[in-house]
Amino acid sequence: MATTSLWDNYQADKAYDEMLDTQGNARPLCATLGQYLQTLDSDALKGRRNAADAAILEMGITFTVYSDKGNIDRAWPFDIIPRLIEHQEWKKIEAGLKQRLKALNCFIDDVYNEQSIIKDGLLPAELIHSSSNFRKECIGMKPKFGSWANICGSDLVRAGDGTMYVLEDNLRVPSGVSYMIANRVITKRVFPELLQNLNVMPVDAYPMKLLEMLLSLAPRPESTPQIAVLTPGIYNSAYFEHAFLAQQMGVELVEGCDLVVKADDCVYMRTIKGLEKVDVIYRRIDDLFLDPEVFHKDSMLGVKGLMRAWKAGNVALANAPGAGVADDKVIYAYVPEMIRYYLNEEPILPNVPTYLCSEPEQLNYVLEHLSELVVKPANESGGYGMLIGPHASKKEIKEFHKLIQKNPRNYIAQPTLALSTCPTLCNDKLEPRHIDLRPFILQGEHSFVTAGGLTRVALRAGSLVVNSSQGGGSKDTWIINTEQ
Amino acid sequence: MLSRSAERLYWLARQLERTENTARLISVTMNLMYDLPYGTEVGWRNLLTICGVEDAFNKSLKKPTEQHIIHFLMVDLENHSSLLSSLSFARENSRITRELMPDEAWEQVNEMYLYATHNIELLSTRRGRLLFLQEIMRGCQRFTGFMAGAMSRNDSYRFICLGRNIERADMTTRIMDSGTVLLAEDRNNLTREYESILWINVLKSLSALLMYRKQVRQYIKGKDVLNFLLKNPDFPSSVKHCLHEISHCCIGKLPNSEALVQQIHVLEEQLLAVDMTATTPLELHKTLDGLQTEFNVLHGKIAETWFFNNLTE
Repeated sequence: MATTSLWDNYQADKAYDEMLDTQGNARPLCATLGQYLQTLDSDALKGRRNAADAAILEMGITFTVYSDKGNIDRAWPFDIIPRLIEHQEWKKIEAGLKQRLKALNCFIDDVYNEQSIIKDGLLPAELIHSSSNFRKECIGMKPKFGSWANICGSDLVRAGDGTMYVLEDNLRVPSGVSYMIANRVITKRVFPELLQNLNVMPVDAYPMKLLEMLLSLAPRPESTPQIAVLTPGIYNSAYFEHAFLAQQMGVELVEGCDLVVKADDCVYMRTIKGLEKVDVIYRRIDDLFLDPEVFHKDSMLGVKGLMRAWKAGNVALANAPGAGVADDKVIYAYVPEMIRYYLNEEPILPNVPTYLCSEPEQLNYVLEHLSELVVKPANESGGYGMLIGPHASKKEIKEFHKLIQKNPRNYIAQPTLALSTCPTLCNDKLEPRHIDLRPFILQGEHSFVTAGGLTRVALRAGSLVVNSSQGGGSKDTWIINTEQ
Repeated sequence: MLSRSAERLYWLARQLERTENTARLISVTMNLMYDLPYGTEVGWRNLLTICGVEDAFNKSLKKPTEQHIIHFLMVDLENHSSLLSSLSFARENSRITRELMPDEAWEQVNEMYLYATHNIELLSTRRGRLLFLQEIMRGCQRFTGFMAGAMSRNDSYRFICLGRNIERADMTTRIMDSGTVLLAEDRNNLTREYESILWINVLKSLSALLMYRKQVRQYIKGKDVLNFLLKNPDFPSSVKHCLHEISHCCIGKLPNSEALVQQIHVLEEQLLAVDMTATTPLELHKTLDGLQTEFNVLHGKIAETWFFNNLTE
């Protein structure tokens, strides 16, 4: 394979490559894709890429980047070379993700009710009380099916030995699923021949599964529930996704100003007919902006009285307020324990080994090995506020030394994983770039996992940062069934 | 449907209609100018009056040359009803309402916007300008055609239809008003000589020439043209037809609309009472002016009924 010009620059480093084995030959799963790419020269590939770029622009697949110069609408960065996963492996991952979310929901329900995991001594109480995502307003609440986190986006990475690890669970307002679906739409235009010949699992079931899940949460199941997606508005970075999901589900896309809570503690939306009752809200607004009556007093995004309505059981919120308590990188370290404790099962998917800076012994290790570790704040998202030891300057390491000592509870550290790589089109040649994977998991009455997920790719050579807000791109993810 | 979405769709339709109308008006005027000698009482300034932006243009302190006027009407973002402004607003509104329409609707508007912003340099030559305008008109028509074929006749559709017809009726009265100058007793001889070309131009500005010919099998007379544009029940840009659409296809099928239907009925009666043969140009100008005021009142009532739903909590 190394003979064609496309692959001239392809020097897979020590990391696991998703397409080529250590000898530089295509892995059996990728043989067809590899042969197909052989037939294209760099001009042909460039043509495909231009077609993809044009489609993205026309379909208006954008995300918003916040900057000092105002908000900029950027075209979605997409790499046309897909990332492949074998169905057998995927089945195991799927089971592992369902298991994980089940345990996380048991945990959240427990935290706001009996707190048995604390009483049984498995988790220190102060971890909960010091968590910035713990909401005392939620104590005593019992959402339907015990499901607090109804929509979860977990980040998976494949390390050098080929094992898939869970890196984190996003339980607040995870985004990206619309891009997963859009990526497939684009790929169908770019590589229709390939999709035809390979047995690739479809990804577009998600909006219907999401709708089913939201319907199952309705507090008054006897009538057809009125469902709404609550967005912060057009300037939010994920507005494209909010509109996309509302459209695909055929439900209303509302902003805070469209909703009102009346004296009967029910939520209504302002329509051309007058006020109409809302039963389920898929909210894409952070907890603290949901209700100015309870949280940030000056929030213009939320709805006054929403928490009152939720607590009275008149409206379902997905994800439930307070679910973020489990979306904390310190709590993450306890997930394998949770699975054993609540489900009496062994975890199917491994965690990345994690050092808790709140534990004095582990803190010392972290401080001594900063240059080898990745340090993450416990409650940030979007890849902000991280230290990647091996890539950091002395000054940065010094800074983190101070930051961690000042507030150990707020930091965790993990060994720097050599994220797996995947061929990516860079300057008309294929080069290895590091990737991760974000599948989406739903849990209402039933559980559901997307077929694959959103593969994110760090477009800069050697970089491990895959977030789209920081120069990351994405790839279509193909779950391939080789059994038939 | 949400009041906020209703308002957005209504404006989306108005802005797209305005985009198409502006494009056609400029394109037709360009063609006309090649035919006319100097000295006829029609010119580029006329377009500013039709679009209702004469004052705004004067404030810009630019000379009323072809180049300046076209720039002002097409791409000046300070002019909120310029073609590019209207198109940008339309794009923003269709982005906000994209969950209510089939994907292609948003894509159509977005593509048109991308075309416009990527091809502004075309406007520096007359030939390029015509190409540009043609592409914009086609884009608007694709949108309308797509909606006609793929959008359910639901409340969303009704607000789009409502916005389009109000904007359309308003534009028709403005173009008619610009024609009243051709009826003036004191018009000069040169203008009289080119009269039929000018009336044909009025019809072309509304894509009405062929339909007019089919209906009125006579040589072209100003009062016939105006009568057709005001009262023909079948032609889509006639004021009569627009009002009929507004009342029967849109408002009549929306909730809480009894009072509004009644009001449009009164307006339709007024319209039919206009006797073109017995009207002086000045009276006609007043009538058309009055109609434009009525459309503004109608807009206010629409907003009150459906958009600013200030129901007490």
